[in-house]
This record gives sequence, C-alpha cells and structure tokens, in this order.
Amino acid sequence: MAKRITIQATRFDPEKDTKPRLQSYDIPFSDDSMVVLDALNYIKAHVDGTLSYRWSCRMGICGSCGMMVNGTPKLTCNAFLRDYWPQPVVVQPLNNFPIVRDLVIDMEDFLDKLKSVKPWIVRKQEIPLGAGEHLQTTSQIDDFKQFSQCINCMLCYAACPVYGLNNEFLGPAAIALARRYNLDSRDQGLKDRLPVIAEAEGVWECSFVGECSVVCPKGVDPAKAIQQTKLDTTMRFVLPYGNRE
Amino acid sequence: MSLPAGEAHPALSNTYRWSMPANWWTRKRHYFFYMLREFTALPLALWLLWFLVEIKRAGDGPASYAPHSSALFVVFSAVCLAFALYHSITFLSLAGVIIHVKFLNRPVPSRLIVLSQFGLWAAASIVIGFVLIWFGR
Repeated sequence: MAKRITIQATRFDPEKDTKPRLQSYDIPFSDDSMVVLDALNYIKAHVDGTLSYRWSCRMGICGSCGMMVNGTPKLTCNAFLRDYWPQPVVVQPLNNFPIVRDLVIDMEDFLDKLKSVKPWIVRKQEIPLGAGEHLQTTSQIDDFKQFSQCINCMLCYAACPVYGLNNEFLGPAAIALARRYNLDSRDQGLKDRLPVIAEAEGVWECSFVGECSVVCPKGVDPAKAIQQTKLDTTMRFVLPYGNRE
Repeated sequence: MSLPAGEAHPALSNTYRWSMPANWWTRKRHYFFYMLREFTALPLALWLLWFLVEIKRAGDGPASYAPHSSALFVVFSAVCLAFALYHSITFLSLAGVIIHVKFLNRPVPSRLIVLSQFGLWAAASIVIGFVLIWFGR
C-alpha cells in the first residue's frame, strides 16, 4: 500500500476569514525525494486549486518558497517529506510578516528595508567601461563572499524574535547585504549606508539571538555581519582615525 | 513604492497582522537559552549590589566586620557564580564571531580568537586571585 502523509496548511481568505486556520490534506507520499513544495503543488493540482503560495525555481536559488515547516523557517523546496513522515507536516506562512492569503506574506516591509541599505556597488565616480576590469584579489573577494550568498528568502526575518517584537528593526538580511557591499573593495558607499545601519533600529537593535544564522539556507551568517558592524561603527566613533573613508 | 517600515501596502490593506505570542521564547531551545543568557545579568547585578554593601561594611574596619555567611546567601552566591560562568563563556565564545583580524594578509581563524580570549580570561583570573590572596593575608 502506498505511503500517505498529512499536510496541514494555513488557509486565510481576507474576504471571508478574520484569522488564519489550518486545513488538513491527506496526500500520497509516493517518492522519497518529495519535498514540502511538491506536496503543496500536488494539493494545488489534485485536491484544492485555491491554495495560494509563492514558489519559482524549485532548486533553492530564488528564495520564493520560504514558509514555516513544523514551526521552523525553511525553503519548502529543500524540506524533504521523508524527514517528517509519518508525522503530519504543518506548513504556515513565514512568522513576523502580515499574511496576504493562505501561505503568502506581504514582503513590502522587507523590500523597503533592503532598498534602504543600497545593496549595490556605490561609486563616487563611475569607472568608464573603457577603463577595463576593476580587479580584485582572492583575499578581497573572501572578505565579503559569504554575505553575497544571500537570496533574500526572508527566513532570517521569520526566525528573528527582535524583528517579531519590533518591525522597525532593519533586520538580518538587509544588514548582511549592507556589510557585503561595505566590505567590497570596489564600493564607496559606506557613508551612504551608515545613517541606516548604525542607528538605533539598525545594528544596535539586535541582541544577538543568533537564530538568523541557524536557519539561513545558504550558509550566510547575518548575526556575524551585525556584530562585526557594531564593532566597526564603534571603532569609527572611538578611534581618532575612525572616520576615514 | 517606498513605505515607512511596518506600514501595510495600500493594495494589501486587509492583510492579517501577525503578532508575537508571549511565550515565543519557550518554543525553541535556542530561544530559551538566549533568554537565559540575557536573564543572567539580573542576579549578577543584584549580587554586585550586595558586594558594594559588603565593601562599605568592610570599610568600617576589621574589628566590626564579619562576612555574610547565611546558607541562603551562600546558595544565592553559588547560583550567581553559575550564571556568571555561563554568561562569560557565551560572551567569550562569541568573540570569534565578532572579531575579525588578519595576520600576514590571512584572516585569523575564529577558534584561535576564542582560545586567546579564554586564555586571557584565565590569566586575568590568576592575576586577580593572586593579588587578592597576597594582599589579603
């Protein structure tokens, strides 16, 4: 007899419901390589076409399919059903964000915060294309490489109780990406980012719970980025030469 | 479109507002130990306040001073010591995450930084212990 698994998914229709509820779906678990996203796709295709959720690449790159799986923020394309079977799998929208519908969250707040740290290379004066490559050594790349792995999946925000209690907090991914560019030898935007990252609701709001780094599916360490930024901004303030560019 | 943080997008004004449950810190082991780490500061502060009182009493001269030695205070001190060790160990373990230094253009490994912190802690404890015992004789 084919194995089956129970998926309990959050349902919320803003036109009808006052609060989210869980709905159970009993579906075939036919293949050990099935992930939670496969289960949701099966439900959508064969059981209930009204179930809403985000997904895109199905290979842990786009960062769209982040949800709470049994209470832990996960990319559902990377959460294997075999790790949960025969227990039911509870799939909920990411914590700490407003719920738009079912498993879909409103990510505007995150996108605004991301934009506020200017996560791109800022130059005082652009280098003309004809001037050739802007070369970097391996060591210079190593300085920021791990922070550049962030895929903006927002799992770190869902894991962060500080953001959950105060959504004015800039948050882990935005600060990690700010650090990624501040450490880039081609970038000159530190002074543009400092007013955002060094303020009270920036790095100083973080009390180092550290769960953001635990749940990151790409091995980025946002907690490290935040604590290092705290040290750097303090040094800039304390040391006489600290305000150098 | 840029919006102030925390404000709902106009097109999504009827979203369900998620709120943090009061018992959030009991839901994960990691969260619980984080709260414990933060809480350890409170008994430590109380013990240090008591220590200031003891110093004031000791300042009145050796003739009238006797250290506080009730069983309750000894137990409280032992608990504070455990909390102080827990707080110190977690704090020093984080040094490897926070401090980033290079030696000969190579980053110093986090483990080495943490070990150096614990080494400095041990050395400082030995020096302070020696000073207290030597001058307290």
